[in-house]
Amino acid sequence: MTTTPATDLSTPVPSERLPPSVRRGGPRRDLSVMIGGQGGDGTLTVSDLLGRYFHEQHLYVYTARNVLSRIRGGHADASTRGSVEPVWSQKASQDVLVAFDDEAVRIGQAELDPEGFILGDHGSVNEGPERLYLLPLSMTAASKVGNGLYKNTVAYGALSHLLGFDEAKARGVLEGRFGRRGGDALQKNLSAFDLGRTLAREQVGEHPLFRLEPGTNTRSILTTGNQAAALGFVVGGGRFFAGYPITPATPIMDHLTRWLPTFGGVVRQAEDELSAINMTIGAAYAGARSMTATSGPGLSLMTEGMGHAGQAEVPVVIVDCQRVGPSTGEPTRHEQSDLFHVVFGSHGEFPRFVLAPGFPSDAFELTVEALNLAEKWQLPVFLLLDENLSEYTQSSEPFDLSKVRIDRGKLLSPEALAALPVYKRYLFTEDGVSPRSVPGQRGGMGQTTGNEHDEWGHVSVNPENRRRMMAKRLGKLERARADLPRARIYGDERADVGFIGYGSTYGPIREAQRILSGQGVKSRFLQARTLWPVPTDELEAFLGTVQRTFVVEHNYTGQLALLIRQALPRAPVLSLLKYDGSAFRAPELVKRVKEARP
Amino acid sequence: MTETAKPTAPIWCPGCGDFGVMAAIKRALGELKVPPEETVLVGGIGCSGAIHNFMDGYGFHSLHGRLLPTAVGVKLANPKLTVLAIGGDGDGYAIGLGHFVHTLKKNVDLTYVVMNNETYGLTKGQASPTAPLGFSGNVETPFDAPLLAMSIPSSGFVARGFSGAPREAGQLITQAIQFNRERRGFAFVEILSPCVTYNDTYKEWREQVQNVDTVPGYDRTDRGKAIAGCLSTIASGRIPVGLLFRPSDERLAPSLDRTLLPTVESAPATAEISLDANRARYEKLLAGLA
Repeated sequence: MTTTPATDLSTPVPSERLPPSVRRGGPRRDLSVMIGGQGGDGTLTVSDLLGRYFHEQHLYVYTARNVLSRIRGGHADASTRGSVEPVWSQKASQDVLVAFDDEAVRIGQAELDPEGFILGDHGSVNEGPERLYLLPLSMTAASKVGNGLYKNTVAYGALSHLLGFDEAKARGVLEGRFGRRGGDALQKNLSAFDLGRTLAREQVGEHPLFRLEPGTNTRSILTTGNQAAALGFVVGGGRFFAGYPITPATPIMDHLTRWLPTFGGVVRQAEDELSAINMTIGAAYAGARSMTATSGPGLSLMTEGMGHAGQAEVPVVIVDCQRVGPSTGEPTRHEQSDLFHVVFGSHGEFPRFVLAPGFPSDAFELTVEALNLAEKWQLPVFLLLDENLSEYTQSSEPFDLSKVRIDRGKLLSPEALAALPVYKRYLFTEDGVSPRSVPGQRGGMGQTTGNEHDEWGHVSVNPENRRRMMAKRLGKLERARADLPRARIYGDERADVGFIGYGSTYGPIREAQRILSGQGVKSRFLQARTLWPVPTDELEAFLGTVQRTFVVEHNYTGQLALLIRQALPRAPVLSLLKYDGSAFRAPELVKRVKEARP
Repeated sequence: MTETAKPTAPIWCPGCGDFGVMAAIKRALGELKVPPEETVLVGGIGCSGAIHNFMDGYGFHSLHGRLLPTAVGVKLANPKLTVLAIGGDGDGYAIGLGHFVHTLKKNVDLTYVVMNNETYGLTKGQASPTAPLGFSGNVETPFDAPLLAMSIPSSGFVARGFSGAPREAGQLITQAIQFNRERRGFAFVEILSPCVTYNDTYKEWREQVQNVDTVPGYDRTDRGKAIAGCLSTIASGRIPVGLLFRPSDERLAPSLDRTLLPTVESAPATAEISLDANRARYEKLLAGLA
C-alpha cells in the first residue's frame, strides 16, 4: 500500500495522483458513495443527504447502512447509490469512499471500485492507497464552524463539488433537512457546506471529478419497508399497535406512535413481547384491527401468543423484521432465518398465513392485505420482512390508495347479530370461519378461548368435537388459497435460469437478471409473496418454464428451498445461500449462478 | 333476542373459596347494573381463571399469566367496556408477575381480582408465591401482593377481601368497578379464597382477617401510612383486609385510557376505518412522504 503524504494541503493534489477516470471527470449513470467513521460521526446524515439529493435529481436511490448495536462509537458506515436505471440493492462496488478515520479506509477500500477514490479527513486518516485524497474536514469544521461535528456537512459540501452537484439543489437539501430545526443549525450547516465546496475547489479546480447524470424517475418516493408497513397499517384500518423496542422493528412503532393517535388509534410500548402480543390479541378480540411488530428474540417470546390467537381464532397481524439469530445474534445485520419459526413455531397445530413483501410498496399493499386476511379467516397473519427491507431507504413506487380495500369478513354488525336466532362464536360453517361478535354487542356473548371448545366456546374434550374443530381451523389453510396474495414473475417467458426468492432478495435478483440478459442468458424470477401455505400451484407452473432454479435466501439451512421440496418433492431446485450478515449483490448472484452451471 | 352461550356449571370442588368470590363479583356487577354484554371477563389459567365460563358476559380465556395484557388490550380498544381480569395467585404473582407490576404502572381503568389460595390447586398442591414457609416443602418466604401494589407509585386502589365474607368482598369489588367507571385508574382486589382440597385455610383465615377500619390510626389515603398499617397488622399475626389504599382523588395518577382516549366514543375498536371516511387525511399523510 502506498502512503499518501498527509501534510501537503497548501497545494492542490497533483492530478496525476488521481485515477484516470477521475481525471476525465467522466459521466456516471450509476454511482455509489460510502461514508465511514465512528458511530456518532454523522455518517448516516451524509448518506441521507446524498439520498435526498439523488432523489431530487430523479435518480433511483438505494441506501445501506452498516452500524453496530451501540449508541456511539464503533465503526459505522453507510452507502448511498444513485442510478439512472432502476436499482433495488447495493452497488457491487463503491465509486467514492468518504473516510473519517483509518478504520473506515481499511474496511471501505475492499469495496472500492478500481476507478474510485477515497476522500479522507486530514488529521484522522493517516494512510491509504494511492487513490486516497485528503481534505481537512474536521479541522475546518472545528476552526471555522465552531464544532468538529460539522465535518459531515463539510464532507457533503466537498462531495457536492467533486461529483458535480447542482449547488442550489444541494443546498436546498440541507435547507429541507435543517430548516425546521430552529436555532442556528441551518446556518452552521450551510456554512459547513460552503467551506466543503471551497476546500474541494481549491484541491481539484473548477471541474468536478465525476459527473452524475440526472435521471428521469419523477414518480418515486423515498421510503423503507418499515415505513411502508406502518402506513399500510394505518390506511388498512389498523387502530391498535403494541410492541417492544427491538432492532430492526422499532421504526414501525415509532412511525405509528406519530400517526395513529390522530386517527383514533392507540400505540403502546409494552413491558415485553409477551405483553405486546397479548395486548394485541385483547384489542383484536375487542374489535380493533391490531398488529404487533418484532424481530427474532421478540418473536420467540410471542410464540405462545401466536398459538393462542390461532386456537382462539383471534385476528392479529404479526410483523417479523428478521435479523441475524439465534439468541441476540447480530441485531443490526441481515438474515432470513425465521421462516421456519413463523411457519412452524408453537406447540400444537393451528392455521396461519405468512406473507412476504419484496419492496416498500409491496409491504404497503401486503400489510393492508394481512389485516383483511386476518379478519376474513380469523387467524394470525405474519408479515415477514428482513433487515434490509425494513431499514434501508430506497426509491419506491408511491403508495396507491386506490388499491386499498377493507374486508372485515364475518364480523357482525349489531343489526346482523340481532337478526340471528342463535349466535355461537365457533359455529361450524362450510369455510370454517364463524360469524364474529365483539364485546359490547347484545346477543353476542360467549367464550373466546384457547382451550379446545365446542361451538359455544365451552371447554370440551369430546373426541368428535376435537376432530371437527381441528378440521374447522386447520382446513382454513386449503380453503383460503384463492384468497392469498399471488407471486410476481419477472423476466423471460421461458428461461435457462430460474430464481425463487422473497423479501429483499428481490433487489439483487432483479439486477442479476439485467446482467444476465446483457450476457444473453434468459432468466425468470418468481417473487414469492405468500410463503405459507406454500403456493404449490404457482411454484409448479413456474418450475415448468425454467431449466434450473435457484432458491435465493439468507440462511444456512435453505429454509425456503426445504418448504418448496416438502410441497414438491421432485422440484429441481438449488439453494443459493448467504449467511454472513450481509445481503447479496447482483454480480455475486450472477457469479454463483455461473459457477453452479454444469 | 338472539340465543347465545349460557354459563356452564363451575368445575370447582364443593366448598371452594372461589364460589364466594364469584358470588361477590356477581353481586357487584348486579348492584352497578352493568349489562352483561358490556362486561368482559378475562380469565387466567388455574381453577379461578375458569370463572368466565360460569358467568354471563363476554368471556376470554387467556394464556397463563397473560390475562392482564389481554385485559389492557381490550380496555384500550374500547374503554366503554367494563373489564375484569380474574385469576389466581400462581397466575398473577408467579408467571404473570411482570405484567402485574406493569399493569399497576400503566394504570388502565380495569379491575383485577386475584383469588389467593397460596397454592397451585389445578396441578395438585404445589407452593405458590404466597405459600407460607413449610407448605408443600416451601423454603421461600412468601410475599404480599397488596404491599407490592401499594409500592407502585401509580397504584390508587388496593384492597383485600375474604371469600368467607362474600358480602364485604362484593362491596370491595363494587367500589373497584365504580373506581374504573369514573376513570380513576386500575383497581386491584385480592380475595383470600381457600383451596379446600390442598390448603383449607377457612378456619385460620376467618380468625386472622382484620379489617383495616378496625386498626387504630390506619390511614388508607396515605401510601406510607397504609403500608405501615398493613405491616404492623401482619406483624401482630393478622391479615389486613378491606380497602387498604385509596388516596384522595387529586392524588391519583392519571388513568392511561383516559389520557389516551379522553372521549370513550372515539376508540380503536369503534373508530371509523372505511377508506372513504379517511381518504383526505390518508392522502395528506402519504403526500408527506414524497
